[in-house]
Amino acid sequence: MGQTLILGLMTGGIYGLFALGIALVYRGSRTFNFAQGEIGTMGLFIAFGLVERVGLPWLVGALVAILAAALVGFVFERLVVRVMIDASRVAVAVGSVGLLMLLLAVEFKIVTVSARSLRAPIGGVGKEILGVVVSPTHMLSIGVAALVAVGLALMLKKTDFGLGVLAAAQDPVAVRLVGVPLARVSGFVWAMGAALSALAALLVEPTVGVFAPGYASELFLKGLAAAVVGGLTSLPGAFVGGLVVGVTEAGVSRVFASAAFPGIKSLTVLGLILCVLLFRPGGLLSGLVAKGESAS
Amino acid sequence: MKRLPAPRMLLLALAFGAIPPLVGRAGLLTDYSAILVGGAVCYAVAGLSLNLLMGYAGQISLGHFALLGVGAFASGIFSGADRMGLPFVVSIAGAAAVGAAIAFVIGLPALRLRGLYLAVVTIALSYAAEQSLFRASFISGGSSGMQLPRPILGSFVFTRNADFLAVLLLLLLLVWQFDVNITRSKLGRAFHAVRTDEAVAASFGVDVTRYKLLAFVVSGAFAGIAGAMYGHLYQFVNSESFGYHKSLLLVIVVVLGGLRSRAGVVAAAGFFSLLPVGLIKVFGTGFRGTDLIVGALLLMYTVARYPGGMAEAMRQGKERQAVKAAKRAAVAQGEAGDEQPVVPKLPQMPRPSGLPARPAEMAGMPLLSATDICVSFGGLKALDRASLDVHRGRIVGLIGPNGAGKTTMFNAISGLLRPDSGSVHLLGEDVSGLPAHVRARAGVGRTFQLIGLAKDLSVTENLLLAQHVVAGYGVVSALTRIGKAAKVERELRDRAAEALEALGFERFAGTPVKNLSHGQQRIVELGCAMVTAPELLMLDEPSAGMAPGAAENLAVRLRDIRDELGRTVLLIEHNIPLVLDVCDELYVLSSGEMLAHGAPDEVVRREDVIGAYLGEAVAI
Repeated sequence: MGQTLILGLMTGGIYGLFALGIALVYRGSRTFNFAQGEIGTMGLFIAFGLVERVGLPWLVGALVAILAAALVGFVFERLVVRVMIDASRVAVAVGSVGLLMLLLAVEFKIVTVSARSLRAPIGGVGKEILGVVVSPTHMLSIGVAALVAVGLALMLKKTDFGLGVLAAAQDPVAVRLVGVPLARVSGFVWAMGAALSALAALLVEPTVGVFAPGYASELFLKGLAAAVVGGLTSLPGAFVGGLVVGVTEAGVSRVFASAAFPGIKSLTVLGLILCVLLFRPGGLLSGLVAKGESAS
Repeated sequence: MKRLPAPRMLLLALAFGAIPPLVGRAGLLTDYSAILVGGAVCYAVAGLSLNLLMGYAGQISLGHFALLGVGAFASGIFSGADRMGLPFVVSIAGAAAVGAAIAFVIGLPALRLRGLYLAVVTIALSYAAEQSLFRASFISGGSSGMQLPRPILGSFVFTRNADFLAVLLLLLLLVWQFDVNITRSKLGRAFHAVRTDEAVAASFGVDVTRYKLLAFVVSGAFAGIAGAMYGHLYQFVNSESFGYHKSLLLVIVVVLGGLRSRAGVVAAAGFFSLLPVGLIKVFGTGFRGTDLIVGALLLMYTVARYPGGMAEAMRQGKERQAVKAAKRAAVAQGEAGDEQPVVPKLPQMPRPSGLPARPAEMAGMPLLSATDICVSFGGLKALDRASLDVHRGRIVGLIGPNGAGKTTMFNAISGLLRPDSGSVHLLGEDVSGLPAHVRARAGVGRTFQLIGLAKDLSVTENLLLAQHVVAGYGVVSALTRIGKAAKVERELRDRAAEALEALGFERFAGTPVKNLSHGQQRIVELGCAMVTAPELLMLDEPSAGMAPGAAENLAVRLRDIRDELGRTVLLIEHNIPLVLDVCDELYVLSSGEMLAHGAPDEVVRREDVIGAYLGEAVAI
């Protein structure tokens, strides 16, 4: 029980980071960036090249990877999203499928058969908590995830620009009146979503081991599930949604794991999304969060 | 869109059935080439399936290959010698049914809501299928995969790939014909309306959720067929046959194929399934994956440049040229290019059969009664206990300054918006809990401030769409064109032609609405609202954008509607002379509250009413 909870919370924090990026983009542009996860994989490839091949320190590789991811998000917003300001939101989402496919195709092209893995950011021996060995990387990832979530929340609530981002989805006119350019908001959320995705991928990769093209897109799906659980527009909801997805997944796979039914985790995620849409379409927290926060 | 008449379809079917086996036997089609072409055919059916969902209904699925997989494994279970051993035809139909069923189960929760939830659910399905369902031993025989048999006809087994290619081509033809039938029926029109504007669709009586779901279910059936075709072609499938990135490539195929263009989608499917092989053959293995990179870049370029799809962009180009040519011709003949039409006599339609009977006198009950409607958006109160009654056979005006809540009131009455509190009674029945499409069926016709028409569709098609509530035939009949569909569609077309004639718009029958002038669009919209002879006609600023002459003429027509047709009108209007001219009574809305009600010339003299308007004028 305790083990499951710890495991679930650890992966859940990572899903929460993906979900934060998804909710941000959704607030700013009312659509999804389906390439967001794969931008994270791209970040892993860059960090892998710099750290494992060139031999730079982990932190340098990670920083370059995150900046590159943000740049991809930003450029895509400039070249595609902004042009489509009047287009349907489905069309914008389809555009991001193009970016996803592009990243996948390029990754497959440069990929060799050998499995890649990135070294852990910090060494050392893990501690045992409630019967689970928690490695230093795990602890780091939980810490960073929490720190980023709180930092982002503060930045959004306490700065004028941040408030503009929060208000953009609800009242574009008002945002323009208080002097926050919508174009900047849009650029920010797409870059931020991509950067968060790279950060999350970097944090989780050492705990899993190897990565391949498509690696972070699967995590992105968990992030989507988390964002749906959180009600799509709510940022705290998104992060809590990540924890919910992580714990549910760990719990179900512990109870039902069997050879006859492999991949129970992905089935759980599908079931969870369907249940939330059926019974709490506004998100699990829809009743708890203040009305203004979740109103659309 | 070109329509193939039935005899031509039969000829094509004969050719598809006969040519591949003959060519194969003549040694012109190797086993290897036949399987390549066969793969392309399966892909084309998959493309048509996604095109139906994305192109027609405007919904997005990113896990469509999971539905193909469902079809393949289902067909394997139905037809496998060691499983159920059913004949090929039955197992294909079964695959379609299972594909449709899975689409229903995952589509229902997602499509009840607005937004991109279907994309989320289908990605989740894609991963769940690949990692779990298709690996479960009781479904697929575990991760080792599943064998699928080739069909048997009497004692003949379709072992040769060229022979089986004939079967695949016939199935493609079948799906193609279903697709043609859809676009020619109320389904195609309803999908189009839902994609264009859900509110307009609902006011024409289209149940938006039902039609979104229907599009996904039919798409799932097509996908099931495509998957079964694929499985029986390669005779083996496993969990990796239907991965996520294949679904993504299918999105590229459909968008680059032009969205809504059957031929384009089939061509793009053929191109993208043969291109990789061709590239490697010509340029060597170094070019593996180049097709994906090019396709992805093209996809981004295409959606950014033409969000409505390439085929639509090309159609629009052609239409623009046609409009230009027509204008040149008009100028050459010395006609004015943009004449403002006066409002013609609106069509006097008998009430169509298939609708609830017109209730007899309701003994003094108002036709419409909205009581204590409250609506708030965020913190803003748009309507605060606003009430109004409309009695049969009257023209009732609703006026008020901008932002007073007039259109919100309309939306609350027609059901597009659920008020926070208050009730709406229509024909003596409480309809407060009913959605917009049901109220449209009960006899509410309405127009919108910004023209509530499907603007890409022609005038005739809009008049057909407007008759959605009386298109009384089922989905199966629409798909197969067997049963009532053909007959009902003929009746609808007759009515549409009649309405066109009444409007004097015969020459615009095939013109897309967006190519008409604003005044002409208004008239088409009025015609559409009248074509099912609704009990209550709600008009939101009908004179907006009309030339003064046309607006005066509108007054005559509104009186026609009341006196000759015996209908009731509720009217939002800023044109005060028009309001004073036609309205029997007047409601004034100000800041969400009903300020005044009474005879028009008395109401407009009241000081508080003048104040409400002047206040606005001063504020500007």
